[in-house]
Amino acid sequence: MKGFLDYVPGNSFLHKLNPLTKLVLALMICVACFISENHILLVAIILLNLAIAKAAGILSRGLMLLKGLTKISLVIFLLQLLFIRGGDVLITLPLNLLITERGVAMAFVIVLRLIGATMPLALMLSITQMNDLSNVLVTKLKIPYKYAFTLTTAMRFIPIFANEMSGIIEAQASRGVELDTRNIFKKIKFVLPLCVPLLITSVKKIEGSAISAEIRGFHLRTRESCYKGYPIRKSDVGVMFFSAFLVFSAIIISGV
Amino acid sequence: MVNLQNVFFDYGEGETLKNISCRIDKGEFVAIVGANGAGKTTLCKLLNGLLKPSSGSVVINSMDTRTTKTSALAKSIGFLFQNPDRQICKNTVREEILFGLELAFKDKGLIEERLKNTLSTFGFQGDSNPFNLSRGERQRLALASLIAVEPEILILDEPTTGFDYMEAMKTMGTIKELNDKGATVIMICHDMEVVLDFAERVLVLAEGTIIADGQTREIFRKEEALEQASVLPPQLVQLALRLGEGFEDVFSVDEMASAIINRMNKERTFEHERFSGLCTG
Ligand SMILES: Nc1ncnc2c1ncn2[C@@H]1O[C@H](COP(=O)(O)OP(=O)(O)OP(=O)(O)O)[C@@H](O)[C@H]1O
Ligand SMILES: [Mg+2]
Repeated sequence: MKGFLDYVPGNSFLHKLNPLTKLVLALMICVACFISENHILLVAIILLNLAIAKAAGILSRGLMLLKGLTKISLVIFLLQLLFIRGGDVLITLPLNLLITERGVAMAFVIVLRLIGATMPLALMLSITQMNDLSNVLVTKLKIPYKYAFTLTTAMRFIPIFANEMSGIIEAQASRGVELDTRNIFKKIKFVLPLCVPLLITSVKKIEGSAISAEIRGFHLRTRESCYKGYPIRKSDVGVMFFSAFLVFSAIIISGV
Repeated sequence: MVNLQNVFFDYGEGETLKNISCRIDKGEFVAIVGANGAGKTTLCKLLNGLLKPSSGSVVINSMDTRTTKTSALAKSIGFLFQNPDRQICKNTVREEILFGLELAFKDKGLIEERLKNTLSTFGFQGDSNPFNLSRGERQRLALASLIAVEPEILILDEPTTGFDYMEAMKTMGTIKELNDKGATVIMICHDMEVVLDFAERVLVLAEGTIIADGQTREIFRKEEALEQASVLPPQLVQLALRLGEGFEDVFSVDEMASAIINRMNKERTFEHERFSGLCTG
């Protein structure tokens, strides 16, 4: 089973960039999304995300992400549509609900922002190895290794938790707990108590990793122990400039 | 009754199970053997509806798993997972066993009685915390909470793995008792001694297909199929096979002893005859 954050090996231009550059690019795309309220720019950013996915050879994952995010966005869109008011009233619904001009515009902005800002982070994690990311955080950004390790380990545990949870759900359904119901409220009622075994196994797993890290000399590791070098090349500088340009154009277009 | 017809299954990356057909009647004790990754666990998950066949049909007691929910099938099927920790979800041993019982029965008196019996059969302290038990004990607890319910069909994914010899024999004895009361037992097992001692029938699985299916003693004679599935029969059976003539029906220490004595008697008679032949000749 491949999770949506798992590393996809590859040899593309993007794979070869410095992990730091990839992180900066992803963050700057996010920032641009949050600065801009311009629909066209936001759509352009989403297209840029897809282009990045294509260039890295993970277009199918990019599209899968887009599909998943669109589903979530639909719910958010409806909620925002009803709760943001301003400008002309377009439709009046029962229960004193209004759909307004500003509501529609803002709902679009929020949804496009959500998609545009989530995709780059997920894509970045798909083409960067966790080890490289934490090494670069330690050597270039001078973050203590302990914290960088915590961050990357937390990321690595997400798919493990998901796997564990689906295993627990299977086991409990086999005992006769009605976890395979289609009724979402009933399902939540049954899933909540299962958080106990999930937490216990998770804490055990984490304790296990901590012990094995300690045994292998974790406390001896310092910034100097990093064996691989992460040079900043011309291409990295280029991509960083491009990132800055993105944020810049977002500022100009939105006239902030 | 369990009935599989031309069952195929894949996880999305090549077929894991290929054209499986078999029928298991009420009260049978069946062992599924095969190499790691042969598809044994997958086959069992198809039986209780956790996985649905990509083609073919799986029918349990006239319920088709494609149209029946796992939680509904659970009323007649008890399933022991390879990893007991996913099953255990309560804070004390007593609550854990009660949880299974309450899902299956309404009658308070019956539940109390079963709980008491199970605690004493398995020798558990009702108040101990499951997560402080050792791995073997936790597996026994998961099994105990299944057996307490006395399901019609019991599916066990490696029930004795990690048990010491005595523990394995005790646990298998409890399972056998349930089988004698009429329950169908389907068990995945890598320990061929256990298979030989307890299973009446063996399914040999290799690369997603059943390559042999028959009485336990018949199957252990089929060296070729066993080798294909990376399974070695118990040493005693291997020895009997090597010895050949006169040892065909040897599957236990007692049988081996009597076969050897038989052979020795025969040789002695032969020697005796030869000797008397020499004297007279
Ligand atoms: N959730 C899953 N997703 C994808 N592939 C899987 C999944 N579970 C199992 N497989 C694959 O299916 C094949 C059969 O697995 P299965 O767990 O049925 O083997 P098994 O016979 O039970 O092995 P073992 O003796 O190690 O328990 C394996 O090759 C495994 O990689
Ligand atoms: Mg298995």
